[in-house]
Amino acid sequence: MIKVYIGDRYVYDVRNYAALARGAGTMNGLGLRAPVTAVLAALALTAAACGSSGSGGSGSSGGTISIGVPVPLSGDYASAGTDILHGAQLAAKKINAAGGVDGKKIKIVSQDDACQAQTAAQATAKLISQGIAIAAGGYCSTAALPELSAFHRAGIPFVMDASTNPQLTQQGFPEAFRTIGRDDEQGPIVASFITKFLKDKRVAVGNDNSTYSKGLAQSTVSALKADGAQVVFNNALTPGQSDYTSFLTKIAQSKPQVFYYSGYYPEFGLMLKQAKQLGLHFTMMGGDANNDPTLIKTAGSAATGALVDTAPLAQFLTSAKGFVSAYQAAYHTGPGPYSSYEYDAVGVAAQAIKAAGSTSPSKIISALHGISSYSGITGSFHFDSHGDRKPVNYIVTIVRGGSFAAYKKLDPSTGQWVNVS
Amino acid sequence: MTPAQTAQAARRRRLTPRLPGAGMATRAAVTGAACLLSLLLPLLLSQYAMSVAVTVVTFAILGLGLNVVVGYAGLLDLGYAAFFAIGAYTSSLLELHLHLSFWETLPLAVIAAAISGCIIGYPTLRLRSDYLAIVTLGFGEIVRIIATNLNVTGGPNGLYGIPAATVFGTSILTSNAQYYLGLFLMAVAVAVTGLLSRSRLGRAWRSLREDETASEAVGVPATKVKLLAYIMGAMVGALAGMFFSARFGAIDPTSFTYNTSVMILIVVIVGGMGSIPGMILGAAIVVALPEVLRPISNYRLLLFALALIVLMLARPQGIWPARRSRPGSFTAPPEPAGEAPAPAGRRSEPGSVLLSVAGLGHSFGGVTAIGDVSFDLHAGEILSLIGPNGAGKTTVFNCITGLVTPQRGSVLLGGRSLRKLRPHKIVRLGVARTFQSIRLFEGLDVAENCLVGLAAHQGRLLARHGLLGRTTAADRRQALRWLEFAGLSGQAHLLAAQLSYGDRRRLEIARALMSAPLILLLDEPGAGTNPTEKQALMQLIRQVRDSGVAVLLIEHDMDLVMGLSDRVIVLDQGHTIAAGPPAQVRSDARVIDAYLGREETESAETVEEVLGWRS
Amino acid sequence: MSAFLQYVVNGLTSGAFLALVALGYTMIYGIIRLINFAHGDVVMVGSFAGYTIVTTLVAQHWPVAVVVLVALVAGMAITGGLGMLIERVAYQPLLNSSRLAILISALGVSLALEEGVRIIFGAGFSSYPNILPAANFSLGGAHASYVQLVMFGLCLLLMLGLYLYVHRTATGTAMRALAMDRDAARLMGINVERTILLTFLLGSVLAGASGVMQGLYYSQINFIMGFLLGLRAFTAAVLGGIGNIPGAMVAGLLIGLIGSFSDGYVSSQWTDAIIFAVLIGVLVFKPTGLFGERVAERA
Repeated sequence: MIKVYIGDRYVYDVRNYAALARGAGTMNGLGLRAPVTAVLAALALTAAACGSSGSGGSGSSGGTISIGVPVPLSGDYASAGTDILHGAQLAAKKINAAGGVDGKKIKIVSQDDACQAQTAAQATAKLISQGIAIAAGGYCSTAALPELSAFHRAGIPFVMDASTNPQLTQQGFPEAFRTIGRDDEQGPIVASFITKFLKDKRVAVGNDNSTYSKGLAQSTVSALKADGAQVVFNNALTPGQSDYTSFLTKIAQSKPQVFYYSGYYPEFGLMLKQAKQLGLHFTMMGGDANNDPTLIKTAGSAATGALVDTAPLAQFLTSAKGFVSAYQAAYHTGPGPYSSYEYDAVGVAAQAIKAAGSTSPSKIISALHGISSYSGITGSFHFDSHGDRKPVNYIVTIVRGGSFAAYKKLDPSTGQWVNVS
Repeated sequence: MTPAQTAQAARRRRLTPRLPGAGMATRAAVTGAACLLSLLLPLLLSQYAMSVAVTVVTFAILGLGLNVVVGYAGLLDLGYAAFFAIGAYTSSLLELHLHLSFWETLPLAVIAAAISGCIIGYPTLRLRSDYLAIVTLGFGEIVRIIATNLNVTGGPNGLYGIPAATVFGTSILTSNAQYYLGLFLMAVAVAVTGLLSRSRLGRAWRSLREDETASEAVGVPATKVKLLAYIMGAMVGALAGMFFSARFGAIDPTSFTYNTSVMILIVVIVGGMGSIPGMILGAAIVVALPEVLRPISNYRLLLFALALIVLMLARPQGIWPARRSRPGSFTAPPEPAGEAPAPAGRRSEPGSVLLSVAGLGHSFGGVTAIGDVSFDLHAGEILSLIGPNGAGKTTVFNCITGLVTPQRGSVLLGGRSLRKLRPHKIVRLGVARTFQSIRLFEGLDVAENCLVGLAAHQGRLLARHGLLGRTTAADRRQALRWLEFAGLSGQAHLLAAQLSYGDRRRLEIARALMSAPLILLLDEPGAGTNPTEKQALMQLIRQVRDSGVAVLLIEHDMDLVMGLSDRVIVLDQGHTIAAGPPAQVRSDARVIDAYLGREETESAETVEEVLGWRS
Repeated sequence: MSAFLQYVVNGLTSGAFLALVALGYTMIYGIIRLINFAHGDVVMVGSFAGYTIVTTLVAQHWPVAVVVLVALVAGMAITGGLGMLIERVAYQPLLNSSRLAILISALGVSLALEEGVRIIFGAGFSSYPNILPAANFSLGGAHASYVQLVMFGLCLLLMLGLYLYVHRTATGTAMRALAMDRDAARLMGINVERTILLTFLLGSVLAGASGVMQGLYYSQINFIMGFLLGLRAFTAAVLGGIGNIPGAMVAGLLIGLIGSFSDGYVSSQWTDAIIFAVLIGVLVFKPTGLFGERVAERA
């Protein structure tokens, strides 16, 4: 006999119920009764499961302003989504501690989009029904596209923190904004570092066939070619494996001086470790999705000397050290790669609401465009007419002594790579 | 309610007679109410709930399509999302590059899916269901990987800017409009799969699901029917794919992963395989349950997973399993005046050679099952094949009926070689059989079991009396005729599994006779029957012979053999050792040797005891 | 030439881990005809069990060899228990129902394990501390580490042990009898329920061993690592002929090699497509896998 409890509520005995359902089914010639009882049982289970939780919030009324955060909270990308949500919550906490916006508290309303188009459509509809004034979040392009279209139809601005796909802001939706650079802006900076600072001519480029990674790889490859470098390898791997030794052996066959990987940290961490095991000696450099402490934990001593380009994140800015320590204190782990972009997305949203003096979405949109310079923890920026972030900055970090250290930055006046002060 | 009370209530319900007409009326009322409710849904629900409803409808269409493959035909498909993807990509590419409208791309997307159904189905038709499962999984993954890696499909970015569907010049953009469009497509899928289920093809699928070997052996063209399941399922899946791409205006490969295939499979199993309302209910649960659990997002998938296990433990057959026929539902209208009674099978000249087996030999691995077997079967006779266990009798049957392709020798039916023909073709040519261990379609009722036997002559796809047709009055009359012949007409509504042993034997014979055979091969029909049943069986076999069908009989029961046979052939260790009239064979020394072993030939009395030969 | 040899070394390493997992699929399928979708996730749970033990013990400065041994044994014990629990709760009541019902139950278990681990350990990646010596040697131009060699040997040893157990002991014979015909085995006095449970125990113990070893070797684990692993291991089980234990071992190594050669000579992004294409190709010509299946067809 198995008793099923949800919380402290006794639902039913599995064995017993199974016997009953079977009995009713056969004796009844499978009439309607058995299915109906089963449906009722399923619904009872559902109801019992959500009995304890309350219903959603009610928008900007009653002294709070709701900011919607659609992110993946289940499935393969739940980790990234959780990091982003934490960034949003931390931002709200800080704003509220400072008195909120015009006396109203910011409330973060999150919905799981599971990185799937259909779930995303539902998450967006749910957020809109919860009366949000503005949305800030998103992770996968798969989900971000339907989310943006739905927000566009509802006229609600959407500040994206992690979606680097150029397509998103090119559709001409006035509601689209982003606090992160586009894929096609990072590539030239990476190429410049490789050709002007490392002065390497033979470059291997790898990606993981995700929208972001492939976009970054493409823009890097074309910039490298324009800078006169030879791209000796340009291919994608299958993410999610544990073993990339053969992928690396193949790269080694093309005899590169540097290997640039535009995918995410789990694969890059494994590759750093396995490259050392294979006795490979070319320089390894990762894109801005690799700035994650897990990379160093996985690769161990093999990570030392690895390069990662990134936006000048809080970790490397004295002005924003508070964010990292607050994050660490609240969630007992370091921020994820997009936590700080989300922090800024919520921050800039709050400032726009304040400037608009209203929670009317159309006024917030004008206010967002009207911000001339917002000093966020990812640097100062404003939005161009498409809603893209300007300017986009990148620095290069290096792994030293078990952590990322700021290494070089591009001096815009001289075009030279200099030490990060 | 305590278990005792529930059982009592159930008993009471069972005792209350059900009027078929009343049941129909209730069903019509419930269906009508459900339709009305689904049409009024947008008035009752919020925008958010409507967007959930659109997803429910999408999954219901997918479930209906996969139901054809899994529920009707019993083929496990773990890569169904491939067809979802192919529909979505075909439609989107045509809209983007050729600027066709949603409706113009519809037939093309459906055809593309049908072709891909052929491509996956064709090489894998020989595989058993579990191998098929992984091949479909592989196919699904290959489609996704191709979509991710090719440029024409937009790679990982997928395709953007796909125009919305338009109806009478209006773009379908809002959740409500999308809901109605989806509902329309779902209604199409319901109608198509519902009609398929009632067609002869549907029956062939069900027989295949119950027992593939048996269905081939009674004349179902199994490979064609399987392939059609994939194709039909794929076409419905493409419908959902088109709807999906028009709904979001953007598609990319991550929407068509293995996980999507699994979700669709869950819809089918949870809803109840083979049942159309079950698919809609299943989709509602699979989509809505995680939505209901949103407030506890951290635990929602865990609870969903646990609910899935509990649901399967409580109702392994699904929430709304396919309905079975009710008592008294199988009738046939009387013969229309002027129509001649159905012909009693193809007659042959009595005494002419119907089947000629010469030099037949086959080995399994190193074991020679039959070494050299030759005999002729004449029209109008009952010929028995006897011999000790392991003599190779059933292998001879399998060689004749095409379940085994013999390595040596020839099998000629009226001068035509049966070698290397598929079993269903052999049935069509006039050789029907039964099995030693009775192989009925246990989950189908008696009437349906019988009707499957018509498949041999109704295997064409588009012919008037082909696979897509419905069961005609003539079909039903023929089934009733053979059921009456076998004394089973009163049990037409029972499941085959519910029949008594003797009745199961008789049903298998009735089913075989449905194909209007020239020859009936009976494999130990007397095994396990009691004396009364045996008498009835002998009577039945004689009637079969008298109706003009020659009978080839394998039997151990010597009362039966000696009482029925015109001639007897004795096999031992794969070789014919004696042939002739029963009386002659009975006294053949080699036969006695074969049955008792050479050293123990001392007493003819013992032989008679063992073999039960009593004059 | 050295690249070729390197691909072989790489392929055999990942193939050995795969083979251990494939054995579980093949044994469980052989005995109850269930594609145990939760099996890859049992490996994952094994990895996390090992992770917890290793991090705890390393923090207390236990010697590396002891840590590895304890983690391995405890990981195997935990997954073994988990395997039996899963069988009892989610599969046994359904043994006589439709095979698809039990399949969906397996999918439910798979999802439940993934989500359970996600809730406990978080959705991010966890990394085993890098405690194994990194010393490596070169063999004809191919690099391999001593750890790699030991791991490979350990995998072979476990597989050999299983093979001997199933083919040389009375319980093993009972298992094989059960795979042929459950009812007949019951009539022969075999305790069917216990033998099925034992099969789950053995399969899950091997899964646990594979999980802990992969954790130690690759370091990085997360709650969905069982998916791709399970998919490839399942493919290996089918390729070898479902129910065929030596077949699963060889096919596991083979899939590892095919994956490695595909990564090396074609492209990693096509690897899964190539593995499945090879599988489909083999099945078209040999419908019961490379080495033939060892389960009786229903008569």
